[in-house]
Amino acid sequence: MTDIVLGTAPPRSRLLPRFLIFGLVVVLIAGVLATRLFDLQVARGGHYAGLARSNRITLQPIRSPRGLITDREGRPLVRNVPSFVVKVRAADLPYSQRATVVGRLAELLGIPPAEITAALDRNAGSRFDLIRIANDVPQQVARVIAEEHLDLPGVAVTVEARRDYTYGPLVSHVLGFTGAISAEEYETRRPDGYLTDDIIGKAGVEATYEKELRGAYGVEQVERDASGRTLSILQTVRDAKPGNSLELTLDVGIQRRAEKALRWATDLVGLKRGVVLVMNPQTGEILAMVSLPTYDNNLFARGISAGDYQKLLTDPDRPLLNHAISEQYPPGSTYKVVTGTGGLADGRITPRTKLDTKAYLEIGSYKYWEWNKRGWGPLDIYDGFGHSSDTFFFQVAGMLGIDRLAHWGRQFGFGARTGIELPGEAKGIIPTNEWKEDLFGQRVFAGETFQAGIGQGYNAVTPLQVLNAYAALANGGRLLQPQVVRRVLDPRGRVVREFEPRVIHRVDVDPQVLRTMRVAARRVLTIRHTSNLVELPIVVAGKSGTAQFGIRDRQGRLPYHSWFAAFVPRDPRPKAGDPDGYRAVARDDSELAVLAFAYDSRTKGNAAVEIVKYFLQLEYKLDVDLRNHDLVKRGNFYQSN
Amino acid sequence: MGALRAEPARFHDWTTKSVRVVWNVFDVQLVLYALLLAIVGLMMAFTNSSGASPLASGTTFSRGLLWLGVAIIMFTVATALDYHWLKTFAWPLYLVNIGLLLISLFLGSGVGDVNRWVTIFGLQFQFSEIAKVLMIVVLANFLAARQDSLNSVWTVAGACVLAAPPLLLVLVQPDLGTSLVFGAILFGTLFLSGVSLPWIGLLAAAVVAAVPIAWSHVLKDYQKQRLLSFLDPTADPQGSGYQLVQSQIAVGSGGVGGKGLTNGSQGQLDFLPEQSTDFVFATLAEELGFVGGVAVLLLFCALLWRILLAGWRADDPFGVIFAGGLASMILFQVLVNIGMVIGIMPVTGIPLPFITHGGASLVSIAVGLGILQSINLRQSKPRW
Repeated sequence: MTDIVLGTAPPRSRLLPRFLIFGLVVVLIAGVLATRLFDLQVARGGHYAGLARSNRITLQPIRSPRGLITDREGRPLVRNVPSFVVKVRAADLPYSQRATVVGRLAELLGIPPAEITAALDRNAGSRFDLIRIANDVPQQVARVIAEEHLDLPGVAVTVEARRDYTYGPLVSHVLGFTGAISAEEYETRRPDGYLTDDIIGKAGVEATYEKELRGAYGVEQVERDASGRTLSILQTVRDAKPGNSLELTLDVGIQRRAEKALRWATDLVGLKRGVVLVMNPQTGEILAMVSLPTYDNNLFARGISAGDYQKLLTDPDRPLLNHAISEQYPPGSTYKVVTGTGGLADGRITPRTKLDTKAYLEIGSYKYWEWNKRGWGPLDIYDGFGHSSDTFFFQVAGMLGIDRLAHWGRQFGFGARTGIELPGEAKGIIPTNEWKEDLFGQRVFAGETFQAGIGQGYNAVTPLQVLNAYAALANGGRLLQPQVVRRVLDPRGRVVREFEPRVIHRVDVDPQVLRTMRVAARRVLTIRHTSNLVELPIVVAGKSGTAQFGIRDRQGRLPYHSWFAAFVPRDPRPKAGDPDGYRAVARDDSELAVLAFAYDSRTKGNAAVEIVKYFLQLEYKLDVDLRNHDLVKRGNFYQSN
Repeated sequence: MGALRAEPARFHDWTTKSVRVVWNVFDVQLVLYALLLAIVGLMMAFTNSSGASPLASGTTFSRGLLWLGVAIIMFTVATALDYHWLKTFAWPLYLVNIGLLLISLFLGSGVGDVNRWVTIFGLQFQFSEIAKVLMIVVLANFLAARQDSLNSVWTVAGACVLAAPPLLLVLVQPDLGTSLVFGAILFGTLFLSGVSLPWIGLLAAAVVAAVPIAWSHVLKDYQKQRLLSFLDPTADPQGSGYQLVQSQIAVGSGGVGGKGLTNGSQGQLDFLPEQSTDFVFATLAEELGFVGGVAVLLLFCALLWRILLAGWRADDPFGVIFAGGLASMILFQVLVNIGMVIGIMPVTGIPLPFITHGGASLVSIAVGLGILQSINLRQSKPRW
């Protein structure tokens, strides 16, 4: 070791402390890691060994009881009932045993093994997620699965609350239903504490009031065995908070009567779709909302089978859709309330103005026909509305022009969502020059303005919009947001949110004009445009509509929907000093507005009028039966008129 | 030992030395510890390949064997090459390094938006692993050249500027763990380069000050969530919190002697997420127990001792600094990976050298050790 080192060697002596420090850091780090290992493996090794050998620790959510829903009288519309659910945690199911376990499960549950495998493979989340295999499993089957848990690793049977809808199809469109959360819903809801195997409101108020109804889940730390059964709860990390309850504005009694009236007509004629809506025009509370065909929301709450679901989806009459709000149809003559109000408000006509009604109006070589092909000669607004004269309202629409007509349509809430707290509301279409230019690159033709004035052509509305417009007429000009939820109550029954009418806007018109239109709506009955409806022993005002749509048949006739929107004054009994009821309807105190819509009715008379008539007989317990069964038979309305 | 005169100015070719001389300066211990660690890694690959025949192609074990073979070849090549050449190639290597990282970023595949893997010859390869060793070479070369101005702020600043592009490229992949390793390498090389301590202290202070900014602007939500979950595993019961709880159960249940290879219920029943990658130490501790865990720690200590010793013996600054960089890289990865598994460090995706399965990690460490061995072999200083 005597060799001499040449060159510029680094100043090792200067670096010595740094090498020593480096070495010290190595020792220190190794020491810290070893100490922690000692703590985990030697000092607390027995504890952890116990957890790992037969038990495993896991954090699991505590589900909160979902809030209940009642009608306005407190009748329960839904209950939470216990139901057995079978789930699989992929992480606990060794791949080698998968086929056997899936086979046995399929046998017990009576579903194809492929369906179970598909459900397991579909899970994109963690292997620790519980995957829902079957809902609402019979107790007997649940017991067998629980007994065989040693042979069914990873399979868990749990008891979950499921929704049981007391009235099923009767209120399914308003209530909606709950179902298993979808992958997309899970992605967006994850921050709110939703789980991969969670239940979520899918339709109706179950969906719109999801947040209130759900409450907040808690968390607990549990020990569970190899097959996922909870052995003991170690600690509750966070308590679950039960959901709030809803009291709906619906009255099951009124809903029943509305459905009965609608079903009478649909059964008689074989109508495919129909709507009956009942509302309090003073508050905007929806008292009944019937849309046929309907579906049983209990099917969904139990976990609908693929076949049943396919059947509902492929039904051309779309039972899953709430036709009262989600579909838009031409309003027909019910829209004349807009044209008439606009004409009066803009001073184009006065209540005394008479317009000549003829067989048709001509623009160029094109004829715009009166519906009775004859006309009635000179008519004022009362008789024009009463007879539902098309040529009368063609002229008024022509005086207003399309954009002014659209303005009054919007004043009555057409062309905009009413804001009802139900999912899937349609907006409707109110044509304007701008709208048509955007769409077709042309302005609206004069003839199209005529059509718009009687609710045909491009006009498209939802039944709820029509009812809401007539409610605004009936209450003196307040366009209200229709509401289905009256109050929100906490689990102890204390009111969290009290009902309050929500005014969208006031119709920008002199109250006198609306008064005129209400009297004109009474005239519709007294002139006997709506057959014998006037003979009911209560005062009713309203407007019918026959809205053509679709394609002409071989005789050149179009199929049509029937509409009738009506309202009843607060005191509907006929008075001696008011034989025709004009004074009663002149007041703006109505507390009941009702609308019937019969899709593709093709009846001899106006089916919607008959439906409303029957509903009012039932609702006011009238001792008469003025239903005209003949008018509701199939036939062509135009032939009989 | 014969008279061995050496002038640093002249290249030495090992072929000019007798085999005996070479054997004398060849650090057998370094190779031994590294091989033992690699064998532990193979054992873990074996235990994680249970089910299928471990030797069947495509299993973790057979791939591990293949990569060990590649690593041994790379080690031999790196040992044979005179490390002085690296000084000539330092700058091209640096550009290659950045190029590789850019390739990973644009061509890489990964989970979601994470572009870490590049597939070549059907084998997935993480270029950022190679980048670590190249970074050490580049930094060592730079700092060695600036031995005359160690107290200049420009020395520290220059090293930071060199380290920044690879670090940022890895960070945007995004691979927070590897970019932290780059940081550790920077500190390790600076420390053993002899740069004055106040500058290093200042740099450390700047890093600490940058943490809040990085937290709010650079880190993605899932990274923050993972980092925080170690403080409170119950905060995210379904995600990384679960992983941590399971990992600690696995380690703890191993006890003193372990459950025996392939007998760990936590790992074998897939309770333990990522049991063959970042959480491999949990399986190791479960199956080999406290004894096995401490043995691995001791092996790492011994390896680090041999690396630092090689640095101490090196008669040029490059060798010293390279050893410092390599040691700090391995030490940091051991600390963060094992610390994560036993719940005293946040969750970041840093592999455990030799033991985590990943060809790139093993090969790049083999290259690093090869360079170190080359440094050992070409010393003019006698052994002591």
